[in-house]
Amino acid sequence: MYAVEIKNLKKSYGDFQALKGIDLEVEEGEIFGLLGPNGAGKTTLMRILAEGLKYDEGEIRIFGESISKRTRRLIGYVSQESIAYNLLTVEENLNFYADLYDAPKKKVSELIKRFNLPPKKKAKELSGGFKRRLNLAISLLYDPKILILDEPSTGLDVPSRRKLWEEIKQFKEEGKTILLATHYMEEAEILADRIAIINEGKIIAVGTPKELKEMLGEESIVQVEGLLKGAEKLKNNFPRVLEKENSIRIHVKEPRQALPKIIEILIKEGSQIKAVKVEEPTLEDVFLELTGRGLE
Amino acid sequence: MKLRVIKGIILKDLREIRREKMALFWIFIFPIMWITLFGSIWGGESPPITLKVGVVYYNESSPFTAYDVVGIMKNVTLEGVPLFKVSEFKNESGAIESLKSGRVDAVVVFSKGFGANVSGGRQAKIYMYFDKTDPQDYQITSGIVKGFFSEFEKEMKKRSLEMQFKYMEAYIPKEIIERHNLTVEQIREYMLASAEPLVIEEKTVEGETATPIQFYVTSFIGIQFLFATMLTIGNGTLEEIEKGTLRRIAASPATAWDFLLGKMLSTFFIIMISIVIGIFYSRLVFGETIYPSFLGWSLIFIASLFSMSLGLSIAMLTRSIKSTTAIVNFISMPLLFLAGIVLPESVLPSWAKPIVNYFPLGRALKDLRLLELYNRPASEIIPDLIWLSLITLGALTIAVLLYNWVVKRLE
Repeated sequence: MYAVEIKNLKKSYGDFQALKGIDLEVEEGEIFGLLGPNGAGKTTLMRILAEGLKYDEGEIRIFGESISKRTRRLIGYVSQESIAYNLLTVEENLNFYADLYDAPKKKVSELIKRFNLPPKKKAKELSGGFKRRLNLAISLLYDPKILILDEPSTGLDVPSRRKLWEEIKQFKEEGKTILLATHYMEEAEILADRIAIINEGKIIAVGTPKELKEMLGEESIVQVEGLLKGAEKLKNNFPRVLEKENSIRIHVKEPRQALPKIIEILIKEGSQIKAVKVEEPTLEDVFLELTGRGLE
Repeated sequence: MKLRVIKGIILKDLREIRREKMALFWIFIFPIMWITLFGSIWGGESPPITLKVGVVYYNESSPFTAYDVVGIMKNVTLEGVPLFKVSEFKNESGAIESLKSGRVDAVVVFSKGFGANVSGGRQAKIYMYFDKTDPQDYQITSGIVKGFFSEFEKEMKKRSLEMQFKYMEAYIPKEIIERHNLTVEQIREYMLASAEPLVIEEKTVEGETATPIQFYVTSFIGIQFLFATMLTIGNGTLEEIEKGTLRRIAASPATAWDFLLGKMLSTFFIIMISIVIGIFYSRLVFGETIYPSFLGWSLIFIASLFSMSLGLSIAMLTRSIKSTTAIVNFISMPLLFLAGIVLPESVLPSWAKPIVNYFPLGRALKDLRLLELYNRPASEIIPDLIWLSLITLGALTIAVLLYNWVVKRLE
């Protein structure tokens, strides 16, 4: 029995089709990553699961039971926006949601301690990191079996992000199933047991990070950094080229043969190269392979 | 119905309100401002008024002249306040010009030969001028001036009769009177009754009418129904939608009724605090107030519930805080006057009176006033309370249906 089982899920907002037939199975106890760019349909999918957002077509089962208000109590949802009331303190916010979900009162103090939250501080006075932790604490009040995290590390600094990742790993150890939506490939790669790549409302690939990377076959990635010109010329010679702010990633089969040609083209076009690396492909490269564009 | 959820929503709302400066203004400062303002303007006892009267008369050398009448006019007082402030004019046209321009309220012209005629026992003529532009002012002014001269005339009649008696006793032979089986006293009574057929004796009572302060305390309660109650629930729910918290509440085990009951009870509690502040402030500062009975509080509760249903329905239809505020103000502003909230029903035009009687908030306030200010028995109010409860139930059902409709369509 899957923790979450979705078949042919479709959802439109007016003329815009946000989900175009999603099929997905999430195993109990795994961290399942949903990787895709902004607007791919991740939040819509999560809100259908956690907040009862209406969908047009399809079937959803939570631990084998059709989705309903009852199964929603099995799901804890940490949305991108804070659901805390700004004028209430941390403790008052937790108490309110504990009343709403009929959660035991002792859970409030437990969670305050666990996430090291300042109980008497108003939500509006909290930093972004603490706000995210408060949202997490709220979603754990009623001890859900499934935890849905929508872009949990967006806007967090690096130390806060690392700390959050540790907490997510801890949830897994406690036996929770985690559905993690992110557009950070690093986050998905570090945390997820399996990943579904979603683009324009469709799941285009599912597998472990290793399996997904293997989809690229023998390909390696040449990454050139610096003040670069000539990406268009490179695209004429190499089919998959991803331009980033100060770097270009080129998919190649034989790096030794491709490297001199790449450098020649870039220098000829007037680039100032600072570094050249040959790397194993990342999930972003997989995404590029599958969609022809980058994640961000 | 989950009591823990309802309690949670009430506590959450009250805590938020406690920390919201604008809300605190409406709860604590507004009642004090309202009662202070209207209490200072219309509260307390009204002193008797003094009329400005222009007089025109001619100098004469008779024993009793217009000059003597004007002297009496200048000295007449009511509860220590002069009844007239007399201005003397040389001619009639000057006095009338002053009346037209509002410098005097009335003009009294004593005709030429007034003194000679009065002293000689003949009719003497007085001309009175009033400005009829404002019928109420005219009623008051002419009533006072004519009332004065009527009393004055009565006194003259009495004195003239006394003189006639003295002559009668002295000059009519007693045998003639006895022949007709009469006494002097009987003739005296007959003559007095001919001159003054009605004897009016004035007595005063302390009426059970409301004082202006009491009226404005109930007005303040009506204002809370029209504005604060409607906006608190309507905009409060929209804020939950905008913040995304309503989606979470709707996804929780709480039902729509749990949420709405919690919101409505917290709103009612807030309004009640505001009303209680108004009531006690009025007692403290002006020494007058009303203390609603259980039935009075029931009326307040039903009216609040109706107002909340209306506010919630508007909010659910507009789905915008700005539009809800605009519509509530658009509806409430005219109703403030036309539903008898700040103006008594008696001064409203006839076309507006049905609003007082059939618009539930106007009707509830009217009933509250009848109950608390005019001591009407509960049996007179209860049929209205039942009618109001049924209307409120209908409004509440519509509001809940609209709320459910909106929640189901939350994107």
